Amino acid sequence: MTLIRLDDVSLVFNVRRRGRISLKEYLLNGVFWRRRAETLTIQALEHIDLEVAEGERVGIVGANGAGKSALLKLLAGIYPPTRGRRQVFGQISSLFDIALGFEMDATGWENIAYRGYLQGETPASVQDKMQPIAEFSELGKFLDMPVRYYSSGMMVRLAFSIATAINPDILLVDEVLAAGDAAFQDKAYQRMRGLISRARAVILVSHDAVSLRRLCDRVLWLDHGRIRAAGAADEVIRAYLRQSAEDAGKKAA
Amino acid sequence: MLEYLRKVWKVRHFWITLVRNDLRNRYRRSIIGVGWSLLHPIAMTAVLCAVFARLLGADLATYAPYLLAGLVTWNFIVAVLNQGCQCFFVAESYIRQHPAPLAIYPLRTVLGAGIHFLIGLAVVLVFTWCLRGFGNLPALLALLPAVLLLLVVGCSLAVCMGVVNVLFQDSQHLIEILLQILFYATPIIYPAEMLRQRGLATLVAINPLAALLDLVREPIVSGRLPSLGSVGMSAAAAALAAAAAVGILWRFERRLIFYL
Repeated sequence: MTLIRLDDVSLVFNVRRRGRISLKEYLLNGVFWRRRAETLTIQALEHIDLEVAEGERVGIVGANGAGKSALLKLLAGIYPPTRGRRQVFGQISSLFDIALGFEMDATGWENIAYRGYLQGETPASVQDKMQPIAEFSELGKFLDMPVRYYSSGMMVRLAFSIATAINPDILLVDEVLAAGDAAFQDKAYQRMRGLISRARAVILVSHDAVSLRRLCDRVLWLDHGRIRAAGAADEVIRAYLRQSAEDAGKKAA
Repeated sequence: MLEYLRKVWKVRHFWITLVRNDLRNRYRRSIIGVGWSLLHPIAMTAVLCAVFARLLGADLATYAPYLLAGLVTWNFIVAVLNQGCQCFFVAESYIRQHPAPLAIYPLRTVLGAGIHFLIGLAVVLVFTWCLRGFGNLPALLALLPAVLLLLVVGCSLAVCMGVVNVLFQDSQHLIEILLQILFYATPIIYPAEMLRQRGLATLVAINPLAALLDLVREPIVSGRLPSLGSVGMSAAAAALAAAAAVGILWRFERRLIFYL
């Protein structure tokens, strides 16, 4: 059963070249027939066709600025497609910015609740998850302190523990494979694997080609907003890595 | 429309938490806490009573509650407009990461301002009761629909201004100036009679804010139900504002993120 379908989807951003336009500028430009503040057209995605069926795990690779995050956000429903059609049949859980929604002056416990509500939990379901999240984060007594006083490592641990305490239907992951210090990373990676195996479909963006090869069946290679290659994880990743090495070699030469 | 409201209700825990956080953060390092938001109207009332009661020859027992009720309601409208302008910028990181019906961000703003308004209203009631008692207690029940109407107007204004300010940054400054002018064009400091006597009756008649303020003031100050004119005007203003808000959301919600 198809869970995600993108039909010839394009995403275009019109960015104002000189920052935000004021009412004054808008009126003056109209009155004096001057050119409006120039806009820069950014073709973030072009002619993207994608079908993800139940049980599939799709990885996305590409250079910086290729449009990977834009594609994920479009799938999540944050950006509407400029052209084409997006169809999603299921509930989307996204792991984008795991530190989003942190209230600096609230304690660790309170933040678990706040982040939970942001993710769509109810007070009842959040209560059930508090202990398991706390145990996973290994923060112990620190959870009673306001998050403002955490070290960045502690914050990442807490953020990751909360963000991954979900039962995803369709999972979208943007570069959050593991987090935290060396000791925590292993645990975190296992947790991600568990999450990925529980989801009905997964789309994963990462620069870590090795992990992608292990976690995904299919991989998409995005280049300047277009799909350059799509197919079995091994092949596409190999081609991508080869190309990246060539580009690096050319730059060095 | 109903589907949209259902979506908003579905994420209610999220925006309720946002409102709670806003209130907590605002007064976290403060001793008096919420009391600060009351100090402004109380202080203004004290000063204006001292100065104007003499000039206007108004009876303090009527003027002080009139002034305080007017100021508390006016502050609600000002807060809704000013914070409404910023509501999408303040929530930018959420909007970029987490798809949700956009109306929850103006809603969160209005609920925060609404809570301050209700506290202020409670103070006005206590103050009036201590000063002169209430002639007609049942008339106070008219305050409930008045507050509801103000909340509807507030939400609509916040939605409209929020979107407009994203499209045109200067809107916020224009609104500030407009509010300054309206403050003197609306019977807040002076009774409406004063403006009417000086041939400015039309100004009062066409001002929807005057009508909204009357809905709150009449039951408290004179123990009467607000006039039909005020009620009609307020309801019309609310309907217009709500229609504008629905229209603006329908047109701009999907693409608003491209303008942030």
